[in-house]
Amino acid sequence: MTEGSRGRQLLLAALKSALKISWQTRFGLMRGHRRRALIAREARLSCERLGPAFIKLGQLASVRPDVFAPETVFELEQLQDRVAAVSADSIRAEIRRELGADPDALFADFEDEAIAAGSVAQVHRAKLRRAYRPVIGPELAAGTPVAIKVLRPGIEALIAADLAVARRWAERLNRWRRLARWRPAALMDEFSGMLGRELDLRNEGRIADRFGQDFADDRFVIVPRVVWRHTTRRVLVSEYVEGWRLSEIGEAERAGIDARTLAAHGAEVFMRQVLVLGYFHADLHPANLFVTPQGQLCFLDFGIVGRTSSAQREAIAQVLIGLVYGDADRALRYSRELGLEVTAEREDTVRREMAGLVKRHLLDPPRADVRSFALGFLSMLADQRITIPAGYGLLVKALVTVEGVSHAIYPDLDLMESARPFATRLIAAQLMGRDRLRRRLPAAGRRALEVLLA
Amino acid sequence: MNQDFIKLLAAWALFHESADEGWKAAVAQGQKQQPGSMSEGPDAFVHGLAALVDEEKEKLKARLAEDGGDAAAASSGDLAERLDALAFEIRELRGCMESLQATVDGLAARRGD
Repeated sequence: MTEGSRGRQLLLAALKSALKISWQTRFGLMRGHRRRALIAREARLSCERLGPAFIKLGQLASVRPDVFAPETVFELEQLQDRVAAVSADSIRAEIRRELGADPDALFADFEDEAIAAGSVAQVHRAKLRRAYRPVIGPELAAGTPVAIKVLRPGIEALIAADLAVARRWAERLNRWRRLARWRPAALMDEFSGMLGRELDLRNEGRIADRFGQDFADDRFVIVPRVVWRHTTRRVLVSEYVEGWRLSEIGEAERAGIDARTLAAHGAEVFMRQVLVLGYFHADLHPANLFVTPQGQLCFLDFGIVGRTSSAQREAIAQVLIGLVYGDADRALRYSRELGLEVTAEREDTVRREMAGLVKRHLLDPPRADVRSFALGFLSMLADQRITIPAGYGLLVKALVTVEGVSHAIYPDLDLMESARPFATRLIAAQLMGRDRLRRRLPAAGRRALEVLLA
Repeated sequence: MNQDFIKLLAAWALFHESADEGWKAAVAQGQKQQPGSMSEGPDAFVHGLAALVDEEKEKLKARLAEDGGDAAAASSGDLAERLDALAFEIRELRGCMESLQATVDGLAARRGD
């Protein structure tokens, strides 16, 4: 298909969606949350219909509550990326092309049936023919099962063509004054860059190794180790780890796994990523996580990674403390350090609304409901026309993701209760941190001297 | 006087290397004092204390300079952490080389086809 005809096809699909949404929202007369929820649902369905590039763009948008409405962000999180697998012959040819040898020569027992198939890549199982020493942990013996992730043939060209069309649309949208503040073209460039990095599977492998290294001291966490000897831009080979999907957690519990402990620990692992390590698995959903028979959480698919700066981490921790202890004032105060600009005339309203949301969703119910809190809070900011800074949106989204994953493991887990010890420890560590002490020591010393000499 | 307290003040003084003239004058006065003269009155006490703190500050500065200006390196725990990080980087690099080799093998095979 030529770029022109693909462009027309995409335009037609977009027009259909726009008409449908106009009808559903009574031609724009419907306002507020309901309207935004309908638009969000149609956006998700459109992305799924338009193919891999738009599914990926939707996934990237789902981690940007600073740009998109909260309803859109939470809806896009549910994008389905399941497609029919391409033939084994095509995948074998792809491996041959990338690694210079037939899969049967490189691996033992290469399985023609894919174990997972997404719009961008699919995964086959095989065994190592020779032993391999990975970047982390002990040697992988010959015969170790491995997962071979291979980009679908021609996917880069398909995505590049769709992105070119989307870029042209973004440029046109840039000219609309109402939309210009979202900087559609710049956002599109940012997404294209991220997507480009995701299409180089070596990036995913590097992050997996980094993650494995950072959690090497955590016996509840496992990350499949990468076999770099057989990994290139288009093929990623890593250790195959057996386990239960989160949808099969009942089976894991019957096998003696303590789901509650694991769920609480999963929340802590995620908070450690966001608040301590400064990077996090931004595409975390039940399909990218499973539980091993040894009672470990296995993390997969590091395609999208979010990052937090040191200053953001410090402020995020304080906001978290505010939330887990029901201190709305503190949460709001430190929200400002994350760039949330609340004007003087709106301050009372925002503080009152925030305190109400904290009480209603986090403190009063028998089990805290972070998702409802986040949705309510982000909607309130949108209603008050308050710009959501990137770092702030990240925090709210991260908390909701943590809760979603924890509940997939143990539905009755109270995230706020689980987060309390971690957040408290974190704040204590921050207060005792070398940098902070360095900053505060002179003033403390001066005060001590003043008292002494008084 | 408690040595730890003097050290704390020395750290404070070090952070305020460009302290005000009054502080510098007190140090100079204290350095001129004879042993035992700190008890001669409040001013003598302050001057003596300032000199003590300054002496400790100089020691601290020398120690930090020996450590290459980075106090973090002083603890063996930190050193082990750094070595661990370095070892990881080297292993990462090995992985990177292996991946490049795989790519080269693929390209070479394609050229031979």
